[in-house]
Amino acid sequence: MIVTRDLSRQFNRGRVKALREVSITVNPGQIFGLLGPNGAGKTTFIKILLGILHASSGQATLFDYPVSSPSAREKVGYLPENHRFPEFLTGAAVLDFSARLSGMQNKQDRTDRAEKLLKCVNMWEWRSTKIKKYSKGMLQRLGLAQSMLHDPELIFLDEPTDGVDPIGRKEIRDLLLELKAQGKTIFLNSHLLSEVEMICDEVAILHKGKLLRQSTVRELTTSDQRFQIHADIKNEHLLERIRQSSNALQTANGFLEVVVSNVVQLNSIIDMLRSEQILIQSIQPYRQSLEDSFVQTIQGAGAADFNELLSNQTATASEAHNG
Amino acid sequence: MAKIWAVCFYTFRESLARKTFVTFFIISSITLALFLFALNVDIVDGALRGIAVFGNEPGRINFNLGEFVRTIETGIATALFTGGLFLSIFATASLVPNMLQKGHVDWLLSKPISRTNLLIGRFAGALAIVSFNVFYLILGTWLILSIKTGVWHVPFLISGVLIVVIFAVLYAFMVLLGILVQNSAVAIMGAYLVIFFSPWLYQRDRIYALLSERIYQILLDGLYYLTPRTFEFGEIVTRSVLGQPVMTWEPVWHSVLIGLFFFGLAIYFFHKKDF
Ligand SMILES: Nc1ncnc2c1ncn2[C@@H]1O[C@H](COP(=O)(O)OP(=O)(O)O)[C@@H](O)[C@H]1O
Ligand SMILES: [Mg+2]
Repeated sequence: MIVTRDLSRQFNRGRVKALREVSITVNPGQIFGLLGPNGAGKTTFIKILLGILHASSGQATLFDYPVSSPSAREKVGYLPENHRFPEFLTGAAVLDFSARLSGMQNKQDRTDRAEKLLKCVNMWEWRSTKIKKYSKGMLQRLGLAQSMLHDPELIFLDEPTDGVDPIGRKEIRDLLLELKAQGKTIFLNSHLLSEVEMICDEVAILHKGKLLRQSTVRELTTSDQRFQIHADIKNEHLLERIRQSSNALQTANGFLEVVVSNVVQLNSIIDMLRSEQILIQSIQPYRQSLEDSFVQTIQGAGAADFNELLSNQTATASEAHNG
Repeated sequence: MAKIWAVCFYTFRESLARKTFVTFFIISSITLALFLFALNVDIVDGALRGIAVFGNEPGRINFNLGEFVRTIETGIATALFTGGLFLSIFATASLVPNMLQKGHVDWLLSKPISRTNLLIGRFAGALAIVSFNVFYLILGTWLILSIKTGVWHVPFLISGVLIVVIFAVLYAFMVLLGILVQNSAVAIMGAYLVIFFSPWLYQRDRIYALLSERIYQILLDGLYYLTPRTFEFGEIVTRSVLGQPVMTWEPVWHSVLIGLFFFGLAIYFFHKKDF
């Protein structure tokens, strides 16, 4: 559905590398999250896919059409970051204009869909008010309605919960899940880890324009499993053997923390312990959050950025908490 | 096509939301009302018996009705060609820069419509509102005058077409400036400069004597052939309304070609631009 190959974009004569050879493939029917701190290049990526911005090099297609062709955008909806709709129009008129530009020629169709979506985002009673008078949250909800008005197959949302209150965020998440249930594909940009974790099937992590990783949320959160084994081990030689057959190992007063890639690895460690007659009292899995995974991934990309990233992290985490 | 029409329609609405065009419309309406109520022409059996403007009766004798109508029409055409054009330029200048605003242009470009069609729709919308205003006044006065006096003077309508055409040419230049600098003040200044220097460029051979280097001559010639010839356009408008013969229509089609060239450039740069 979305395929990019070595997509790069530079600004200011190459001084800013907003995207560096990003290759992403998004399959239909899922919620895809593009994750990264502010300035990572997420908006740049979406804009290239929609033909708003030209790539410096590389290829991109939507529905197998090159992104330079208007046909690529036929079945696409888009909620821009910091959007501005014509202020002199009412909410209903914005939707009508949007629908006409998207190719809905039948007036009855347009009004029916607009009514359905305005009700869906709780903006029905504001339909005849000029959007000049709308609050940020109302504009965001109108923007969402606009992005799905013509029943697109693929919807791009750039930071959709920006400026929306907690209840609104929950409503948006539910809406996205409902769209997914209808078989739509959603491409979501976000710097909020918690949010992506809650609804996305697959994520790509972007950092300073580089794609660090693309995998399912499930893989990211369970790929490196961490287990706590309650067992008293005094044998240094045995510990060394376990260290060698696991990805990481830590010991602390009677507890053993191992990181393994899969359960086979875990079981072989258990076998080692049992063959030495060690008594295992309990084994507990830690489910790694996406946040751990994210930090790990970016940490791997360059420790120098880590502090800056962490400060970003705590900011977003507390934001997520408040919001 | 339906999409171009949609852009055109909403551009028209955007212009209506501006006070300038409403003012334009009100002034036109007042003018029309004046002609409708203040002008009394008394015609019996197709011959003029009396005419009264604001109650005064200009001489009953030797009064040429056709000339009277043409004088009024020339006045209207001149007012439109100067004031109306200035007002139209002022009122439509922001249409392109507004479209290019961050957060708005992204939204438009994400729609399945090409940048060329988007710009054509925008241009057509501006042209539609200006034509509407110009023809409201021209058709209105023409009808009132013609019905009251019985003199049906068609060239006046042609002047309306000419005014819309010269606006379109100037507007193509403004669209180009709008795309390049995204600033309506610059677009307005650009158009006013063209109008202001047009008579100078037309009479450039008189300036040649003052110029020391030949290069300046070539420069002036180049400018003359690369800018809309509004001055000559104005003369053609007056001549055609007065019923005098128009020597050459060359300034008209030459200006139209230049307008097309500007619009082509605007489309080219719009396609190349990033938002
Ligand atoms: N028009 C532009 N001119 C110069 N630099 C830009 C432009 N747009 C984006 N950038 C730079 O590209 C980088 C990526 O920006 P962006 O895609 O907006 O990131 P994100 O959406 O992930 O926050 C940033 O460093 C930003 O400053
Ligand atoms: Mg962004």
